[in-house]
Amino acid sequence: MTRTILIVDDDPTIRKLIATTLEDVSGYRLQEASNGAEAVERAVQERPEIVFLDVDMPRVNGIEACRRLRSDPATADATIVMLTGDSGPQAERGALAAGADLFLTKPFSPLHLLRLVDRIGATG
Amino acid sequence: MTAPGNGDNVASLRAQLQRTERQASARQHQLERYAADLREVFKQERSRAQQLRASYKATVQALSNAVEARDAYTGKHAERVTAYGIALARASGLDTHAPELEFGFLLHDVGKVGVPDAILFKPGALSDDEFALIAQHPVIGSEILRDVDFLGEGKLVVRHHHERWDGEGYPDRLAGDQIPLAARVFAVADALDALTTDRPYRRGTRFARAREEIRSNAGTQFDPDVVDALETISDETFAELRAGNA
Repeated sequence: MTRTILIVDDDPTIRKLIATTLEDVSGYRLQEASNGAEAVERAVQERPEIVFLDVDMPRVNGIEACRRLRSDPATADATIVMLTGDSGPQAERGALAAGADLFLTKPFSPLHLLRLVDRIGATG
Repeated sequence: MTAPGNGDNVASLRAQLQRTERQASARQHQLERYAADLREVFKQERSRAQQLRASYKATVQALSNAVEARDAYTGKHAERVTAYGIALARASGLDTHAPELEFGFLLHDVGKVGVPDAILFKPGALSDDEFALIAQHPVIGSEILRDVDFLGEGKLVVRHHHERWDGEGYPDRLAGDQIPLAARVFAVADALDALTTDRPYRRGTRFARAREEIRSNAGTQFDPDVVDALETISDETFAELRAGNA
């Protein structure tokens, strides 16, 4: 079965950057969503192994989306990587409480992003 | 003039503007991070390429030393002939930036490992069979190096360094332009070193005497253009190259 990564960010430029960085080299199929509600919907359809989830999004934010992904058995096993900006340690605590596995601080290092996916892919 | 509800619109526009500004700033910072990573990767790649080149060189040098270690009286023949050869190659219009040429020069006699001591170091005249065995060393050498891709054109020097311009050389009896230019250059550099180095069977002569001897074999043993190129390099230059590889 093809392994999938879901990239969730309200900024299409950031989504495109992440997708372009991971294209081909990651070995994953890449899907995108632009807000939390769409993310949950796509995740139920696509069953991603990894979800990159921006914290700060309009409508349903990343924290809430993370909670919903964890509570649905269809998506509960995904590795959720929260993309945090200057939201601070409070947001990180919130994300952990909501069930996030890892954090990637914006602006993120593309090398770190690639290594992270390699590591998750190797253990997952 | 202010219509009811306009205050809300302004507040909403202002919020939208702030969001757009935040996004623009976040994008800029993200791009700068990409640029920083790219720079780091480039630096690593450059340093690894240098390490790789250095280990290629050291490996070739080690193999060349192994050949030289067997033949005590030629001293640092491979190093000297390589230094002469590179200078002569440049003067003959060859690209000397790629290391393949230098590698080929250093390894020219690697095939001698396949020739028995009794024949290689025989003081007297060689029988036809014995000479046939010696004449195999360029073939043995190019076979040994066949799968070493980074040697590139250098392998042609190993195979053809005993060909002669008039087609009377070995192992393939190539003539004139059929002989790779690097091998034609090497043949002249090899003669220059042999004619200027003391050996048990030949006293060293000065560069001038060596040039005369080489000149008299232009068009028969040597490519006349390479012999002309030799004249553009001074005795002092060769003497310095020699001193640097004594």
